Amino acid sequence: MSNFAIEVDNVSKTFAGLRAVDSVSLSIPRGERRVLLGPNGAGKTTLFHCISGTHQPTAGRIVMFGRDISRVSENGRTTLGMGRTFQISNVCTDLTVMENLLLGMLGTKSQKWSMFRPVASDSQLVGKAVASLKEVGLQGRENEEVKYLSYGERRQLELALALSSNPRVLLLDEPCAGLSPSERQHFSKLVSGLSREITLLMIEHDIDVALALADKVTVLHRGKMIFDGPPEEVQKNTDVKEVYFGRL
Amino acid sequence: MNYRVVGIVVLAALLAAVPSVASEYWLVLFTQILIFGLLALSADLLLGHAGLFSLCHAAFFAVSAYTVAILQTRYGVSTIPASLAGLCMGTLLAAVFASAVRTRGVYFILITLAFGYIVWGVAYRWASFTGGDNGVTNVPAPALGGLQVVSKAHYYYFVLAVLAICLASYRILTTSPFGLALRGIKSSESRMRSLGYRVGAHLYVAFVISGFYASLAGVLYIYYNRFVNPVAASFPISVEAILMAIIGGTGTMLGPFIGSGIILILRNWVSGFFHYYTAVLGLIFIATVLWAPNGVMGLIRSWRSGNRGEGA
Repeated sequence: MSNFAIEVDNVSKTFAGLRAVDSVSLSIPRGERRVLLGPNGAGKTTLFHCISGTHQPTAGRIVMFGRDISRVSENGRTTLGMGRTFQISNVCTDLTVMENLLLGMLGTKSQKWSMFRPVASDSQLVGKAVASLKEVGLQGRENEEVKYLSYGERRQLELALALSSNPRVLLLDEPCAGLSPSERQHFSKLVSGLSREITLLMIEHDIDVALALADKVTVLHRGKMIFDGPPEEVQKNTDVKEVYFGRL
Repeated sequence: MNYRVVGIVVLAALLAAVPSVASEYWLVLFTQILIFGLLALSADLLLGHAGLFSLCHAAFFAVSAYTVAILQTRYGVSTIPASLAGLCMGTLLAAVFASAVRTRGVYFILITLAFGYIVWGVAYRWASFTGGDNGVTNVPAPALGGLQVVSKAHYYYFVLAVLAICLASYRILTTSPFGLALRGIKSSESRMRSLGYRVGAHLYVAFVISGFYASLAGVLYIYYNRFVNPVAASFPISVEAILMAIIGGTGTMLGPFIGSGIILILRNWVSGFFHYYTAVLGLIFIATVLWAPNGVMGLIRSWRSGNRGEGA
């Protein structure tokens, strides 16, 4: 089996003539924590969507654990072990925290088709949901409707949802965007506490959070990869400096 | 004591008492309310739970009614096999029309509308088979084994019994993982996909189940009405089913029946002295949208939470 959790092979994505992602190739070994940096419009989220299956790349392949998943649907990739959060919180706001989590845990199981038994009667499942809420710091909020949760709490719920299918690869799209400094700290602690078994790919604008978590950093600019290396080097790299600060 | 249990017991007792206290006029009207309530409930499985606004539920209702009527009157098939055939035909049609779940929003509404008109057109134009405008008449009273259900009170009880089973199964369905997934899809399709759900497949199955309940309403309707004509398949029936669900409260079990009661009682009452009954219905619908967007059940719920104070 392949040593790489995710391989992006020459992927391009074009929107009506705009090359949002331009021939990007990157390989993420199992268990690595990779942070994706780049200014606004660099193509980070588009690349994410290509990896998660939300978008079909215009060209190139996506490989997960040695298996070409380019033609696998978004939900199929989740079943194969991919979890993700969205840049803009995407949770089921009309449902309760508990219901969201139950949906997350059932999503990769055939039990999601069960019609003859109330979901709340599955005490094992409910118990697991309670435990995972505790992990992200949402204990006691089970029966709250998500629309009454604060923004930060929704971010926590998103993480719990992404983890609820026991993913082997986790994609986090700006998990700290819009959070207060103390919430950021709390959140980066949550992420750094995740099992090292999980391969992490994360977009993050907060340089401190990003560099603290990353094993390796990839920088995108105008759809192209301009840097791929350890976090210590990214701040010294002249190309990266040029992108962020202009030519010095 | 659990209010829900008390409520169900009281409601069941009241419904069971209807034939002994109500005149025949009201008894017949009540039977009709229950049957159309079931049709509204079937449409609400899609609207209130999965978030799909279907305008073709009269099609399943009518196809199953026509199937039963034609089998009974022309081929002498007895009640139980004819009813099963009616259910099958309606559900099969739903399995075809369920392809509409490939679309969303206004396109879904339009395509279901078109599907509904196809069935109405067939019922109306294929006169040699469906009886055209006159429909199929002289459907005999239902017979279960050797037992003929002739009296109106007996048929009312029969409908009530079928409904009890329907509501119990509907309740389990909507609280099951499948039902929860439908509400998740209504809330955020993209989130559900990224959680591993094949959204289209879930909606397809929900559509077919919804069509099954509508077909069951059709079977109950044909034995209630004893004849069927293209009106049963017409656009107004599909719209009324949806309106009943909205006025009563979508996403609830009681709501569609309350809506059915309001619309049918008003129609019977208002049309007695006011020719433009549909205008009254329109006004009620506007009032619902403006002041009670969650229907009667929504009003009750907000009144109850108001009584408890603005806690939590």
